[in-house]
Amino acid sequence: MAEPYAVELRGITKTFGPVVANHNVNLNLRKGEILSLLGENGSGKTTLMNMLSGIYTPDSGTILVDGQPVTIASPKDAKRLGIGMVHQHFKLVDVFSAADNIWMGAQEAGVVLKKDRYQKIEEMAKKFGFDLDPRKQVCNMAVSEKQTLEIIKVLYYGAKVIILDEPTAVLTVQEIEKLFGVLRRMKEQGHSIIIITHKLNEVMEISDRVAILRKGEYITTVDTKDTNEQELTEWMVGHKIDLNIERPKMEKLKPLLEIRDLTIRSDEGNVAIDNVSFYIRGGEMLGVAGIAGCGQKELCEAIAGLRPIESGKMIHKGENIVGLSPKEILAKGISMSFIPEDRLGMGLAPSMSITDNMILKNYNDTKGPFVDRKAGREDAQRVIEELGVVTPSTETPVRRLSGGNVQKVLLGREIKAGPNVIVTAYPVRGLDIHSSYAIYNILNEQKKSGVGILFVGEDLDVMMALCDKILVLCHGKVMGVVHAHKTTKEELGLMMTGSLDLTHKYEDKPAGYAADTLFQEEGEEK
Amino acid sequence: MRVHIVKREDCPLLKKILLIVGAVALALVLGGLVLLAMGVNPLEYYFKMFTMGMVGNKIAYKAVENYLKILVPLILTALGLSLAFKMRFWNIGGEGQFIVGAIAATAVAFQVGPVLPTPVVLLLMCVAAMAAAGLLGLFVAALKVKFGTNETLLTLMLNYIALYFLTFLGETKADWNFFLNPDSARPTFASFASLVSFPRIMLGKFGLNICVIITVLLGVLVYVYLKRTKQGYEIAVVGDSMGTARYAGMKVSTIVLRTVFLSACLIGLAAAFKVGTAGILSTSFTDDVGWTGIIVAWLAKLSTVGIFLVSALIGVLQYGSTAAAATFASVDSSFADMLQGVILFLVLAADFFTRFRVVIAKKEVERHG
Repeated sequence: MAEPYAVELRGITKTFGPVVANHNVNLNLRKGEILSLLGENGSGKTTLMNMLSGIYTPDSGTILVDGQPVTIASPKDAKRLGIGMVHQHFKLVDVFSAADNIWMGAQEAGVVLKKDRYQKIEEMAKKFGFDLDPRKQVCNMAVSEKQTLEIIKVLYYGAKVIILDEPTAVLTVQEIEKLFGVLRRMKEQGHSIIIITHKLNEVMEISDRVAILRKGEYITTVDTKDTNEQELTEWMVGHKIDLNIERPKMEKLKPLLEIRDLTIRSDEGNVAIDNVSFYIRGGEMLGVAGIAGCGQKELCEAIAGLRPIESGKMIHKGENIVGLSPKEILAKGISMSFIPEDRLGMGLAPSMSITDNMILKNYNDTKGPFVDRKAGREDAQRVIEELGVVTPSTETPVRRLSGGNVQKVLLGREIKAGPNVIVTAYPVRGLDIHSSYAIYNILNEQKKSGVGILFVGEDLDVMMALCDKILVLCHGKVMGVVHAHKTTKEELGLMMTGSLDLTHKYEDKPAGYAADTLFQEEGEEK
Repeated sequence: MRVHIVKREDCPLLKKILLIVGAVALALVLGGLVLLAMGVNPLEYYFKMFTMGMVGNKIAYKAVENYLKILVPLILTALGLSLAFKMRFWNIGGEGQFIVGAIAATAVAFQVGPVLPTPVVLLLMCVAAMAAAGLLGLFVAALKVKFGTNETLLTLMLNYIALYFLTFLGETKADWNFFLNPDSARPTFASFASLVSFPRIMLGKFGLNICVIITVLLGVLVYVYLKRTKQGYEIAVVGDSMGTARYAGMKVSTIVLRTVFLSACLIGLAAAFKVGTAGILSTSFTDDVGWTGIIVAWLAKLSTVGIFLVSALIGVLQYGSTAAAATFASVDSSFADMLQGVILFLVLAADFFTRFRVVIAKKEVERHG
């Protein structure tokens, strides 16, 4: 008999009320391999993995570990069986040190905290080739450090099977390379790894085999070397799909939105955006790249009038819009949509219906004291039809929709208002290929009609294909604006980490000022 | 065996009703055990309570009148609170706003009652009560909007300030204190019932107080306000996500101030109705409507129709227990308070089952192969 699989799932079914998250799923993981788990949003990847890590229990089906049938009723069971999961949202205690985060769940922790725990954990981290300061507090760590800590944690607990749920979503190119190095090393040491990711290039790069789920059902498992991105996508989506992102070429229009020497403080009072200048032309899509939390949120909020600025100018069609209320800025045709990490925090009222969310920005335009929900319902119907929102009705609370549909509703409303500048942050955050492409198309349509778009994004591949230019932020400072079709991921990565500064590439003009500006300084003759 | 708690997508209406009726029934059974322990036949007691002593009573219409007297302030207070709660502004100050409103209305009754015609006095009483209560609410809302203070704490503390102010008025014998009865040597509140009182529309022997009609009308107004108007829409958005409201260009501070003012105004009006019908203040005249109103608003899930229904039920408990106490001397009317607490507790528990389902999963037998 061949060597048993590290983990084997047979006929796993899991339902949540009427929703079937997994139906009769079969999956196997060989010892010492990296398996990618691929599927669109809502295809049941995370649910399946949560059953392996003991967070859920399957309704039916069998789980075998090392060829033995097991019951994983709790995360404790999973730990005992050597299965560890690194969740998308880190499960760390912010005010604890790295070592204490590991220690609190360790078997030998005991009642009294002993000094030697730092040493023990440092040794063990070294053994696996990690660089970790065990005394550092989690709240002082960068995202990649936190992730490393999570991985060390599961290794320390003796995991032989490690599940990573979208580990690359929060990392820069260089950090992803480093993570992949770690994964390969773990594989060599005999660990088996399941990695969930949406990014096909990463799947191709890191995994030995790929398992595909679609709508909760198991489709197939293939050897990575025998497949390609196109084929994987077709399996995942169920039909052919064009993977090329369009970048319509537009003639040069006048600058629509010019940002000059803008400085903004964060809620904590730190400088979040530091003397930033850039501009967007009509029919242009400017990408904003940067590690998460580099001032993107503050910038978006300032443009929408939601956050006071420290100094600088924001010029829309030659007119300074600093100090205008959110409503006045809205009336000028500047639309801002920001998809926060929880996807619902800004821009939508989650408990209210799609109709009620449609009228959010124009409910006050009608005369009289009453809300016109009829028009809202028609708008909702139109957005549902045009953007293919999957929902039982226009009166369904937005909270009940899946992520992609929520984002379509948000973007649909913004576009309906007919803006001339669209500021959109993370519009495809957490979306599968299908929904993402739908959103790119929506944005491209707007660009073709002359709208200027500021696209704050995460995925560099997408931004390089979709945007005309890319502005790179590092700790609130501009590291330069590059042409999307000329740059490379490595260059962007270096700029994002602050190792490369291209702002002074053109010494003859101030960086980020449009030569054909529509703005006239007071008292200046033109 | 393992017990899972599974979220329900939605619960059929019939099931919801059955669960709530079941919870009330269970509460009555528990209350019945207490009654049995006291040597009272629970069936007889409940019969008296739920019929509010009207069966075999020659003046049953009086019972209905008195029942409605309890109902009006309760419904109005709960309606007022529901406005604030919908915005997630935790107005726990119904009691204080009610008291302040009642004091203002009484002051008007004593000061202008003897000189102006009754309808004008009644109108002024309502306006004064609404203004006084409204301003008290506005004060807390303004502090919250300006300095981000916690409205729960402030409204709660103001309740006691209002209550002790009322006690002070009731116990301070002085020339300026027109609230007291000048003929009594001991400080007691004076009655203005002879000066002014809300009129009743006589339907045979039964007198329908005009306050009842106004309350029903206000119920319809609040319903329309919340469901159909722009301001109602704003309240819903602010309550759901303040960030989104700001983002949509709403003036959140204005909305908060306005809504809390309206919320407290309704409570003030409830007080004017209460004191204008009773014709006299007392330190315990609120019947805890400020507190009970919170329970009503929550049990009704802030639905306007629900508030009327829940108030009707709580009114039956409160008034019915007083009526039953006439027959069953050994059972104090505090029994109703206890029963009310048990019902609330169990209905909230039933609410849990409308949102979640408990699934018992048998542990699979481990097979080794």
